[in-house]
Amino acid sequence: MGVYQYMQEILITEGLSKSYGGVHALKDFNFAVKPGEIHCLVGENGSGKSTFVKIVVGAISPDRGEIILNGHRYPRLSPIQAIHEGIQVIYQDLSLFPHLSVAENIAINRLIAQGRRWVDQREIKNTAEEQLTKIGISLDLSLPVEELSTANKQIVAICRALSLDAKLLFMDEPTTALTKVEVDRLLSIVMELKQKGLSVVFISHKLNEVFEVADIITILRDGRKVGDFKPQDLDYKTLTFHMTGRKVEYPRYQRQIEDNTPLLEVKNLSRKGNFENISFQLYPGDVIGLIGLLGSGRTELALSLFGLNPPDSGQIYVKGQPVKIDSPFIARRFGIGLLPEDRQTKGLFLKKSVEENISVTLLEKIVSKLGVIRKKIKRLYSIQATEKMRIVVPDVETTVQNLSGGNQQKTIFARWAMTDPSIFILDSPTVGVDVGSKAEIYELIQSFAAKGVGIILITDEMPELIANCNKALVLRNGQVVAELSEKDLSSPDVSGRIQLLMSTNGNNRHSRKREEV
Amino acid sequence: MRTTKRFFTRNEFYLVIIIVMYSIIVAIKNPAFLSFENFFDLLRAASGKLLLALGVLVVLISGGIDVSFTAIAIFGGYASARLMLATGIDSLAFAFLVSVAIGFILGAINALIIHFFRLPTLIATLGTSSVFFGLMTILVGTKSINAGQMPSSIINFGSARLFEAVAPSGNTYGLSAFIIPVVIAIFVTWFILYRTLLGRGIFALGNSEESAKRVGFNLFLIRFFVYTYVGLLAGIMGVVYVAEVRWVNPVSLVGTELSIIAAAVIGGAKLTGGEGTILGTILGITIIQLLYSTLVFLGLSSSWNDLFVGVILLISVSITSYQQRLKSRRNLTFSD
Repeated sequence: MGVYQYMQEILITEGLSKSYGGVHALKDFNFAVKPGEIHCLVGENGSGKSTFVKIVVGAISPDRGEIILNGHRYPRLSPIQAIHEGIQVIYQDLSLFPHLSVAENIAINRLIAQGRRWVDQREIKNTAEEQLTKIGISLDLSLPVEELSTANKQIVAICRALSLDAKLLFMDEPTTALTKVEVDRLLSIVMELKQKGLSVVFISHKLNEVFEVADIITILRDGRKVGDFKPQDLDYKTLTFHMTGRKVEYPRYQRQIEDNTPLLEVKNLSRKGNFENISFQLYPGDVIGLIGLLGSGRTELALSLFGLNPPDSGQIYVKGQPVKIDSPFIARRFGIGLLPEDRQTKGLFLKKSVEENISVTLLEKIVSKLGVIRKKIKRLYSIQATEKMRIVVPDVETTVQNLSGGNQQKTIFARWAMTDPSIFILDSPTVGVDVGSKAEIYELIQSFAAKGVGIILITDEMPELIANCNKALVLRNGQVVAELSEKDLSSPDVSGRIQLLMSTNGNNRHSRKREEV
Repeated sequence: MRTTKRFFTRNEFYLVIIIVMYSIIVAIKNPAFLSFENFFDLLRAASGKLLLALGVLVVLISGGIDVSFTAIAIFGGYASARLMLATGIDSLAFAFLVSVAIGFILGAINALIIHFFRLPTLIATLGTSSVFFGLMTILVGTKSINAGQMPSSIINFGSARLFEAVAPSGNTYGLSAFIIPVVIAIFVTWFILYRTLLGRGIFALGNSEESAKRVGFNLFLIRFFVYTYVGLLAGIMGVVYVAEVRWVNPVSLVGTELSIIAAAVIGGAKLTGGEGTILGTILGITIIQLLYSTLVFLGLSSSWNDLFVGVILLISVSITSYQQRLKSRRNLTFSD
């Protein structure tokens, strides 16, 4: 105990608040990190974690509250001030410069922080080399970063942070795109950094990792702090309870329909480098879960079914007919709808109204014989859709970018729902959606299925899979490694089993050729 | 080993091949092409374009685009010539000073508008291009200056040669003094891009604006530099241009900006930012200038020029775009 009293906290925040358009992203947040501490920050999407990180690194300024770094008080911070105080962040997107070399990506932070004017390539190489040896990994320094695997990009990002004698390292969901082996390597690097006296704020959705590394866990919910906990005082259940604020028991979906003529049948579908020999059948009322790590082939497969990533071989049957789907246009004609993974960049017209966003797939229905859009009918359809999907908007003319994540997702859901698809592919439908909307989206999914729509649900979240799916395919390295039945999914240990199946270490596709650990 | 291998996969390698092959074809058709005289002529004619293209390269690397530089160049060149006539100061240094100052100011206006109104750079400079041009015609006038009126210092600069030789035909020819500003500009641009943190910031900004902000680059300073630097080079080019053609018509030059941008793009600079090399840009200008000056050797009229430039541009851009698509496919972005 004794030492800590004399050791100054690296970071203290007092009453930090930030709101966007009347919604509190963060409210009265108090937080403290001690030297050599691994402090885990957990909370659901939208709980305010990223807002907090952005404030502490000086990317955005808080509405209220203060940040105290090494004893210095800041009502607002600039990125350079944060860096000088020893704050470094490894963002989820890693924030690297893809066309610049490994060496330069590592060294650039230090050059900036030292206020350099001139650059010397040899010095850059030395800096990079030095950081890489610190964590005992070697990479080709002259390679552009875009040519590295995700895991190695992460290494570059870590080295970059270390090059500045960071005192406090924020890691935002660092393990999302990694294989099990890579995760283990990363966690051991984190532990080593701690040994060297570095503090780490570790933000992760993967609670097992949190329990593995945390000295202290702070839980955020809806922008407020629930509390600081010692890992030994929490278990998986209490932690989720604190995160969600309730005992989350989503109703489980059960298929009621007895029609067993397949809507969609896939036979030995392959695409080189993406997936191999995928076969499954989708019946009316089925919700098939596709689960697997990033790079397992799940998104690639979904895109192939929607005509965006044509397969090399294999056959797709829609309602018994062999079909060739080579464009989304064709896919739509066969009654296939896709809710894309990243709604902001791949789905929504952010700057258009809710009405425009919903009606865009309905154009055939709302145009007159001469091809002119009938505005009243368009309005009518849109209003119907917002009511049906429970999209909370003042009116349908509201611009989509002003909506919450949940309402945005429901809008794009509505767009496809109004076309009455018979096969509906949902790629990560609840990413960035709050708990309340999540439950509503699950309800929507299940009501669609109950009406006989066949649904393919791609998800990262085990509870989501278990609540909604009556079948699941586990993918690893482009292959189906397990097909789970309704019975499998209802067994209590299914989560652990799936985790194991997804990540079992084998010849994974992330090449690690270049490194000698 | 790896560096040689890398060179063969690089854009520049193909450009060199294109240039060599084209030159061989022209030389076969018309052996006069392979004379030093012709070579020096090409060099002189390409000087102004290269000055502009270096500026364009820097803007493209930063992830922006500028279409106002021809307006800035003619503004600088024309205004300095007019001012020399009006004040009677017949000095080349004065001409450069005035033109560069105008270039700097107009470039700064571009930078401020782009940074503070967060305008897309194309729209912003499209607008300022008209504004600058309009401003010039209002403030300075539209009357052309012919060779007889032109200040002698400018005329002398246009015909100055670093060394001279006599061709078999009896003509004297030599290396134009234009090479001096060009070599300086190449060196300065190289030094800034590769030896200063500012230069690395320009690359970083073009790679990812968000990431550049996060590592602590001052984006305003970078943008300010980029657009004033383009203005500055355009100002220098303005004087070179006036000296090259020996008379100035204020409506000339504007409208040629796309061929300069095309040259930088042919040279491997990406409109998406973060990439581009000086060597590539020099080769791009070489190709454009070769086509421009040598179609007559092939017995083709100059109207073929645009066609060839267009075709080469399309081919080089298609190749890079295709490679990009293969790359993004691996990252699962399907944009087609």
